[in-house]
Amino acid sequence: MNQAPIVIALLAAAAALLGSVGGVGGATLLVPVLVLLGNSPTDAAPIGLLTVAAGSLAAASRQLREGTVHHRLGLTVELAAASGAVVGALASTSLPESLLARILAGAALIGAVAAFTRKGVRNLPNPVLDAEPPGEWPGTLGGQYRLGDQIVPYHARHLERGLPASLGAGLIAGLSGVGGGFLKTPAMSELMKVPVKVAAATTTFTIGITASAGLLVYALQGRVQPVDGTGAILGAIAGGAVGARVQSRLPATTVRRVTGAMLLAVAVVVVVRS
Amino acid sequence: MNASPVDPKEGRFDRAANLLRVAAIAVVVLCACSLLVHAREPDAALGDQLAWAAVAVLLVVPLLRVAWLGVRWLRRGDVRFALVALGVLLVVATGALLA
Repeated sequence: MNQAPIVIALLAAAAALLGSVGGVGGATLLVPVLVLLGNSPTDAAPIGLLTVAAGSLAAASRQLREGTVHHRLGLTVELAAASGAVVGALASTSLPESLLARILAGAALIGAVAAFTRKGVRNLPNPVLDAEPPGEWPGTLGGQYRLGDQIVPYHARHLERGLPASLGAGLIAGLSGVGGGFLKTPAMSELMKVPVKVAAATTTFTIGITASAGLLVYALQGRVQPVDGTGAILGAIAGGAVGARVQSRLPATTVRRVTGAMLLAVAVVVVVRS
Repeated sequence: MNASPVDPKEGRFDRAANLLRVAAIAVVVLCACSLLVHAREPDAALGDQLAWAAVAVLLVVPLLRVAWLGVRWLRRGDVRFALVALGVLLVVATGALLA
């Protein structure tokens, strides 16, 4: 990498802060910025996936206790996403860098659109379930989550629409090193009619697996630079933690628009340069 | 007055959540130590080894979580989703073999 680990750490922290508040993920911003700073897309991609894996692990404990992650749904869509990540990571070494940069710009553009247009499906509470703890229903893609003092039941639908979207998200993750959460969460929420809180938590769980699948291929190809990665990991965890605190104090719509505008600008510059 | 019954599902993920927290802390400590070692001695192999250890934790923990879920579902008779978990692990293993 062209930058010192401390610079990468600071960039990762800023990207994670903005990405977590804006709901698009830090790597979506970090990887294009690293490419703009003169790094090749093949070098920047592993750094991006390391920050994705770190962010997923940092949030895992809290989300598991809250009961918002739907593991069965997550692993079902992850079958497609992990396949996409593996294919993308394997293909990324044989694609020209200009094409990888354009794919990255496309991912940033999709992230910008997601940031500008994001909304969530609101299911209705069921008073009968108020005594039940939140969680998933065994053997199904349904479950219930806590919304204030009430318990809201839900059931994932249209798996046939969610799987291709997850495959696309995994492919983009493997090719470019961005997490793909900006595709997975809207896919679960809008296409599969899962409440946005559950979709976001389940996505955080699954992007860790997607990142792991892609990183394993990168590592075996000799593309992971661990010392540069440590700075990015620390930055991503610190930025994500601050972002989670800031999120409740700032108007989410404004932050999402600012992040969307930044992603749009980054995408345009990456395309022009490539 | 009877106390409300203890919910059997309450705290069922506490142990796994604690392990995940320990793993996250381990990653932070390993990364910080790696950067410190590198700052003092840029050529020291220890810095690289600590960094690789952090990367290994990040790689392995999600896969262990998938394996744990698969075993848990298999024990509870949820064979369909246990097979889904196995499928995810097979996809990752295939990627490693092809790399």
